[in-house]
Parts: sequence; C-alpha cells; structure tokens
Amino acid sequence: MILLQNSGVPIYQQIAEQLEEDILAGRLKEGEYLPSIRGLAKELKISVITTMKAYELLAQEGLVTAMQGKGFYVNAQDSEMLREQHLRRVEDALAEAIAAAKIAGLDNRELMETLQVLLDSGTD
Amino acid sequence: MEHVITGNGIKKKFKGFTLDIPQLQIPRGFATALIGENGAGKTTLLNLLSGIRLDYQGSIQYFSEKAGIDDAGIRERIGYTGPGNYYLPHWTVKQVEDANKLLFTGFCPEDYRNLCRELAIPMDMGKEARNLSDGNRMKLMLAAVLSRGTELLILDEPASPLDPLMRDKLCDMIRQYLVSREGERSVFFSTHNVADMENVTDYAIIMEQGQIVEQGFVEDLKEKYVLVKGDVQYAEQTGSVLVTQTRNRFGFEGVCLSDRLDQLAGMNIAAETPTLSQICVAVMKAHSQLRF
Repeated sequence: MILLQNSGVPIYQQIAEQLEEDILAGRLKEGEYLPSIRGLAKELKISVITTMKAYELLAQEGLVTAMQGKGFYVNAQDSEMLREQHLRRVEDALAEAIAAAKIAGLDNRELMETLQVLLDSGTD
Repeated sequence: MEHVITGNGIKKKFKGFTLDIPQLQIPRGFATALIGENGAGKTTLLNLLSGIRLDYQGSIQYFSEKAGIDDAGIRERIGYTGPGNYYLPHWTVKQVEDANKLLFTGFCPEDYRNLCRELAIPMDMGKEARNLSDGNRMKLMLAAVLSRGTELLILDEPASPLDPLMRDKLCDMIRQYLVSREGERSVFFSTHNVADMENVTDYAIIMEQGQIVEQGFVEDLKEKYVLVKGDVQYAEQTGSVLVTQTRNRFGFEGVCLSDRLDQLAGMNIAAETPTLSQICVAVMKAHSQLRF
C-alpha cells in the first residue's frame, strides 16, 4: 500500500481506495478478514482512528461488514454490485471529463465527437 | 464508546490558577493526546490521574470500575512516566528493575532487559539514574513501564527529551502497545510536539488556563475546522469569521469552522484540510493570553 502525505487526498481515503481496488479485483476474497484496525495502523505508521475511518468508509459502501469484536470481513461481491461499482467509476470519470470540457469551451457536440474518436481508436 | 478514564467535577485550586474540568472522558482502546500552553494545567491533571496528587475535588474512575487510584489493583493496571526524577537519583538500572519487581506483580524482568537493550540504554547495570542523560532517563522509564502488563499508560511529556529517531520509535511503541490487546489498552499522553506525535494521536484534548477548550477524534476535528488562505484584500472581511487569522503584506491565513465557511462564499480564497498542529495552534491562540 502506498500512502502519500501531501497529495491532498486524506490518508483514510487513500487506504479505502486501495482496499476497494483489492476487493473489486478479487485480491481480497469474500469472507476474508481485513487486517485488524490497530494492526494496520501499526504497519502503516498511522493513527488508529485513521484506519478506523477507512474501514468505516468501506462498510458504508457495502464492501465490508463489521463484526462486533472480530473486525471487518469482505462481503460477497455479486456481479450486480460489481457492475454498479464500476458504473459509478465510469460516471465519475465522465463527469470529470465534462467539467474539463466546459473549462476548455468545448460544446456538447465536440465532446461527443472526442469520445467517439477515442472509442473508435480503442476498437481498432 | 467505552471510556478508560471518567472524571466528574474535577477541581484543584492553586494561588492564581484553578484546574476546572466538569467532565473528562478518555476513550478506551485509543491514544489520546493532551495539548496546551505552558501553565495550562496538563501536568496538574496528569498528576491527579496518576495519583501523584490526591488533594482535589471531584471523582475519577478507571476501567469502569468503582475503585480509584488508591486501590492497588487499579494501580497495577496503570503505567506512568513523567518529567523530573521519578526514580531515586542514586538508583542504578539494576535497582530500577528490583524496585519494579517488588512493586508490581505484572513486571517482567526479561522484558525490561530486552527493552533496555532495544532502546540502547547504557547496559552497565550499575549506572545510576542521575548520570543518565534526560533522553536515556525517559527511555529507562518507558522500558520499565512497558515491561508490566498494564492496560493504561499515562505519559507526561514523553517526547520532549527524545531525539527525532527515538520519537519515531516512541510512536511505534505506542502503536505496538495498542495492537497487542486489540482495543483493550489505552494511552493518555501530554505533548508539545504535536507534529511528531500526530500519526499516533487518535483523540485530542486541548487545554487552556485550567479548562478543556476543545476535544475530539482527530479525524472529526479535521472536518470541523478548515484551513483558509486568501489575498490581502479579503483579510479584513474574513477576520471576524475565522477562529484565528494571521496577516502579512500579501495575504492572510487562518482557521475557520467548517460550518461557517459559507460566509466566505464569493471571495477568492483557498481552503484545505488542516493538520492537527494547525488546529491546535488556532484553538490555543483563540484562548491564549499571549499577544501576537
């Protein structure tokens, strides 16, 4: 796990994002327990509350479940939910592209054309 | 949330100073930092909690038990390190071991010797505590206290006499202490070295003039406050909204309560998440008698 101190992205969010990727990519499997909160804090040399917040974020997203006294385990990733997660990523990335297009003064037609060009070059 | 220390109506009067803490709650399973200016009452509070002083009003309970610090069973579960001469000056490294063995059933001489080695405390067991440097004396106290099966550490300024490398090690040791019985052990320490200790601080309590003026989990405090920077033309306007503000010829910088940020809408300012040190300095400044 790589944590950047000065990236502007909070540490807890960096941890959550990297664990989320591990879960979505299947590197962390259903039913598997995440490292204990204090164990991960020790490994990463960060405070307990920061790891806790990262895990709570993952629990909110439905990726893991907290078990009283036992820690957090990875939920079953049904294909519907995985699709949902990926769809959200696509939407986020497109929203970012739209915002950038606005700044650059691209109108909707030009933006669609750009997307089409990228799609075409990708399918070759 | 469980609490490892619960205090009610704690009051201690001195000439010209009163420690006054209506309610004190230290979360169990975490590291809590006590931060404040010189003379804010940090050491006084820690002395009451560790039983060095017993002459105060109010009540203090530990581990949700009825008994207080005068109970030997409770003291067995608490470790304390502090400034000054905690050990008799002529005690040797070996005599510190003997005294701890005598005082605490949970003391493990083997752990103590291993820790002395790990912390590079001069292993001449005949060396007297008074001949150790401030840093080594702190390391000796830490070695002794970590060699007991405690559930709560009360550390008065543990980082102050330590060099940067040893401070890093202190943070590691606190994390190790917390992980070794997941969620059951707690640490309460005072510090002026907020930046060095930030990555091991879960909960922060800020004191000024004998009172708690702010407290919370660090991640919550980082959402409660926001660091704001802007051009000089907005310095005047924003002054009354911010908790504190410093100005220079080119612009200003300050800390703002997040829920007041909308009052700065429309101004050309930048906002970012503050560090714990920045929050502490802002809160302390807002309550300080120092002039800037």
